[in-house]
Amino acid sequence: MAETDGATASVEPLSTPSTDATSVSATAKPPPETQESIWLRRSVIVSFWLVVVLLGLPVWWKTTAIYRAELPLETMGAWAESKVCQPAFPLKVAVEAPIPAQDAQHLLRDTQHSLDELNDFSAHRLSLLLADAPFVANASQQIVTDGIAVDVSHDEDIALSVRLVPVETGHTPRSLLQPYSPRLDVYYGPSQLPTAASTGSPLATYIAEELHKLFGEEQALLAHLLSKTPGPRAPVAKRLSSGIIAELEHRSTRALKYAPTYHLTFSLFTPINIPSDWDIESALQRYMSPFLDSLTGIHNFTIDTQVQLYSGYTPTVRPEFDEQSKSWTLRKEDLSGFINAAEWPLTPSIGAGPTVNFVLYVPDRSQSPLVVKETGGNSWLVPQWGGVVILNPTEADEAAPAIMTREALAPAMHTFSTQLMSLLGLPQSPGCLPLRISTLVRVRAASLLFSASSTLGALARLYNALPSIPIPDKVAKSVDLTTEHLQLACDSLKEGRFHSALEHARVAEAEAEKAFFERSMVGQVYFPDEHKVAVYLPLLGPVAVPLIMAALKELQTTIRNFKARRSS
Amino acid sequence: MLLLLLLSVFNAVIASVAPRSDYHERLLLRPLPQSALLASFNFRSNETSTAFEQQNFRHFPRSLGQILQHAHTKELHLRFSWGRWDADSWGQMPWNGAREGGTGVELWAWVEAGNEEEAFARWLTLTNALSGLFCASLNFVDATNTVRPVMSFRPEGDHTNASRLHLLHGSLPHEVVCTENLTPFLKLLPCKGKAGISSLLSGHKLFDASWQTMSIDVRPVCEKGGECSVEIEQGVDMALDIERSKRPQDNPIPRPLPISEIACDTSKRYNSHDSCFPLATTADPAWSLQDIFGRPLKGACPLTDTSPDLGYSVCINVPQERNITVHPEGQYSESRSTSPELRCYKPPRNTDFDLHLPSQALPTPLTHPTPPLFASRSINGHGQERGSIRAVIRNPSPTSSIEFSYLESLPWFMKPYLHTLRARIVGSPEDPVKEMYYRPAVDRKRGTHLELHMLLPPSSTLILTYDFDKAILRYTEYPPDANRGFDAPPAVIRVLASSETMGREQDRKGIYVRTTSLLLPLPTPDFSMPYNVIILTSTVMALAFGNIFNLLVRRFVGFDEVAGRGGLVGILRAKIQRLK
Repeated sequence: MAETDGATASVEPLSTPSTDATSVSATAKPPPETQESIWLRRSVIVSFWLVVVLLGLPVWWKTTAIYRAELPLETMGAWAESKVCQPAFPLKVAVEAPIPAQDAQHLLRDTQHSLDELNDFSAHRLSLLLADAPFVANASQQIVTDGIAVDVSHDEDIALSVRLVPVETGHTPRSLLQPYSPRLDVYYGPSQLPTAASTGSPLATYIAEELHKLFGEEQALLAHLLSKTPGPRAPVAKRLSSGIIAELEHRSTRALKYAPTYHLTFSLFTPINIPSDWDIESALQRYMSPFLDSLTGIHNFTIDTQVQLYSGYTPTVRPEFDEQSKSWTLRKEDLSGFINAAEWPLTPSIGAGPTVNFVLYVPDRSQSPLVVKETGGNSWLVPQWGGVVILNPTEADEAAPAIMTREALAPAMHTFSTQLMSLLGLPQSPGCLPLRISTLVRVRAASLLFSASSTLGALARLYNALPSIPIPDKVAKSVDLTTEHLQLACDSLKEGRFHSALEHARVAEAEAEKAFFERSMVGQVYFPDEHKVAVYLPLLGPVAVPLIMAALKELQTTIRNFKARRSS
Repeated sequence: MLLLLLLSVFNAVIASVAPRSDYHERLLLRPLPQSALLASFNFRSNETSTAFEQQNFRHFPRSLGQILQHAHTKELHLRFSWGRWDADSWGQMPWNGAREGGTGVELWAWVEAGNEEEAFARWLTLTNALSGLFCASLNFVDATNTVRPVMSFRPEGDHTNASRLHLLHGSLPHEVVCTENLTPFLKLLPCKGKAGISSLLSGHKLFDASWQTMSIDVRPVCEKGGECSVEIEQGVDMALDIERSKRPQDNPIPRPLPISEIACDTSKRYNSHDSCFPLATTADPAWSLQDIFGRPLKGACPLTDTSPDLGYSVCINVPQERNITVHPEGQYSESRSTSPELRCYKPPRNTDFDLHLPSQALPTPLTHPTPPLFASRSINGHGQERGSIRAVIRNPSPTSSIEFSYLESLPWFMKPYLHTLRARIVGSPEDPVKEMYYRPAVDRKRGTHLELHMLLPPSSTLILTYDFDKAILRYTEYPPDANRGFDAPPAVIRVLASSETMGREQDRKGIYVRTTSLLLPLPTPDFSMPYNVIILTSTVMALAFGNIFNLLVRRFVGFDEVAGRGGLVGILRAKIQRLK
């Protein structure tokens, strides 16, 4: 209403001097604006700006915002820096002694004491406990064996059982480690038992030293693992010499990443057409199955085999003939290129889990024997991939057997199982397979724990570093599961339940990987904000220009008026 | 007829050989009219089913075996084909259509599963895995181009629990078959193209053929005694143009012969020293394996059976009078046991082997058996909105009527009207359709599945027509080459009633005829449209906003009341005034 009034008022003076408009133009002035119309114009501009700022911008913000679920960043960081969990490895060692309980307790206390003195790695502690076997005064070996076998099989968390056997003859004390059961037999003379009065006996010291030696490699492995993770761990870790560190480092780069299932592929390659068949089924049954069965608690295995004829090694590899040894030699540099990736059908098996390839290569008779130049050996290990064995045809079977027998395969199978051991990260000592496997359980549990924690840390860093990626709720859920299972794994470790620790660490690792590699997180990175602005610029530009100009002009007048009023 | 009998005898010989040998391969060469040559490669190997279950692979390729086990697939048929088989002049297909596919990629399989959802999930696993193995876009086989045929396919193998098997069929007519599919195909063979007939296969020649098809068939085979095995049969069939294949690799451009080398028709009145009407050559052209395939055969694959009466892996089907020279001389054995028109050779080991056929005029050319049916299919109509399909099927036999099933699997954006479906026999009021199975399409979910069971009387022609609508796709559903059109897969015709000449093996494999694929033009939008719309709308909105805003905010004053009126022009005018 006021606007129209102002307009008519301003038009009126125009009608009278219209005839000589050019001459009087310099003198004519618009009537002063009414306060009302100025106020109205300002309120129009302000209301437009309010709509833009209060409605437009929030709507724009809301509709183009990326959903980012809340992640417990601090907890994640704490796990990554190992502030939450201090893993410990309390090992239980059962001692079976055919002596009265009181004496046995005494011996135990002494041994424990000297064991603790020997130990310089506080996170890894052996604790002795007395196996409640029936006391047999005149113990014969059989009875004791029966008694302890039942007892130990009940508790899989008992790492080792020590059985004391009194003997009359021979050098004492001496010990014998059973190769296929976690048992250490210690033979002692009757005089070596500690008496109630004495502190420290040669037998106790001997047992402590033996135990310390047995678990030496495991301690080194764990200490090495701990030292690689960040956080306040320096006082816990024991000092390792640089030689040992290099050796452990070397071994860990060879070992495969932990997976619940491994697919083993055994392949026979030959550049010609013989041998065209092998008795692999019974060879595997005989040489591989026992070892694989003993690992069932940690890994599952699937096995497949294939025969590939007319498959030579990579053509660029050229063995040289060595006159001295009358053999064809491969240089060390050639070994890495030996696998003919272009032609050998070594595709990974279908299904979750990595594939371990074992290649048996039978060279052409014209190029045999084929050996490695530097060592004269015929097998090598490809880190994190598998192993290769060259099986040279022997002179005896000149008749070119089309089928390789189980006996002919035996040396290759032994090599393959050794290669599989190092690929799985099995420690090299002690000479008792169950002990090595239980060491593997602890090492794997710890390494999974650390790797899951560091994945969590990486996810937290990613969250902070890339504000433009969406984080779905699934990721938050996985992170929660991971931390929960990490805590459980850590508690299990501290309580000495290593199998359940491995189980929880495995779940935690899987969930952490799932969260980190969530597919929908990468989608929006390729659709930046600049792009959206560019598409809508034809709208935003023409709308923004009058709005800004009007606001500026109005501000200018206000300031000028204000100055004019001040000066007057 | 004689030749048909001969061919079936030949197939029977091969079939009887199969269980005894673990690996078997055969190449059949047969000259076709118009100086074409059919080369039919066949490779077959077995694996006992216990070894297959335990994943101990010997001749069976491990990669494929693992895929089949992972996807619970009991029987698999995969075809890669390109080109057109000219049935009118070449006659019957080499395997009666049982091993030849339609244009593009075709896949059907029997998947073991408890219910349909599970079967489909496993089917997707299978297609994705095969896509990786064969470097083909098989992963694009999804619900929209998968059908479950009811009549057209029967399992070839011996299955124990048939009730849990689900048949699924998918095809990709647009897929171009090329060298990257041949390389993995050759890798599956035990001799890998290094020895045996597979050493003749090269991408240059195979994909230069007028028609070629690669097939892989896996099926369980059980003997009467109960011993079961898994059989894989791989095949490559091609119709080569002899003249074209003989062009040297380094000079592949065809050039006219000098006039002195052409036989001219001197009876033409314009015949002179520089103009010539060439006479049709009656003689069969000269060729050798080296000419045709670019390389000789590199000796026999040693895995084939070595007993004296077996291992004849190269066969050539030519009239008795045709001269053939074999290289190297004396190191091969020849057999003509099955028929005088079929000569088979056992190539030597580790030595190149070649056949030379000189140019020769033959008194009696080879007769080619007529196929059981001739079929063609085309799209009629005009415009962007609707069209119609017309399929013409002809029974050439003067005596016997033919019963067949006709399977049509159409993409969802081609929407047929079933009430317009007309099937009539030319010159007869009889209705040929005996049974019909129809599953309508659901937009973006599944395609149309139409299966007809029809009977065609002797020497008659059937015309099948129906109308369809063309759907308009969403912006993102168009492929990059949208203006090329969309491919509709070939129709699959299976001859149902078995003729008396058909052996048991052929009966299991079936006799098939496939039409060509169709190119369907769909309305395609201008693909810059969304940006144009955004920009245009934005401009209109900005204009409207600017006007209203200015009306509300501007102050209107008299023309003469404006200080410094007229902007730049006004200032200039004032300066000029001052100068005056």
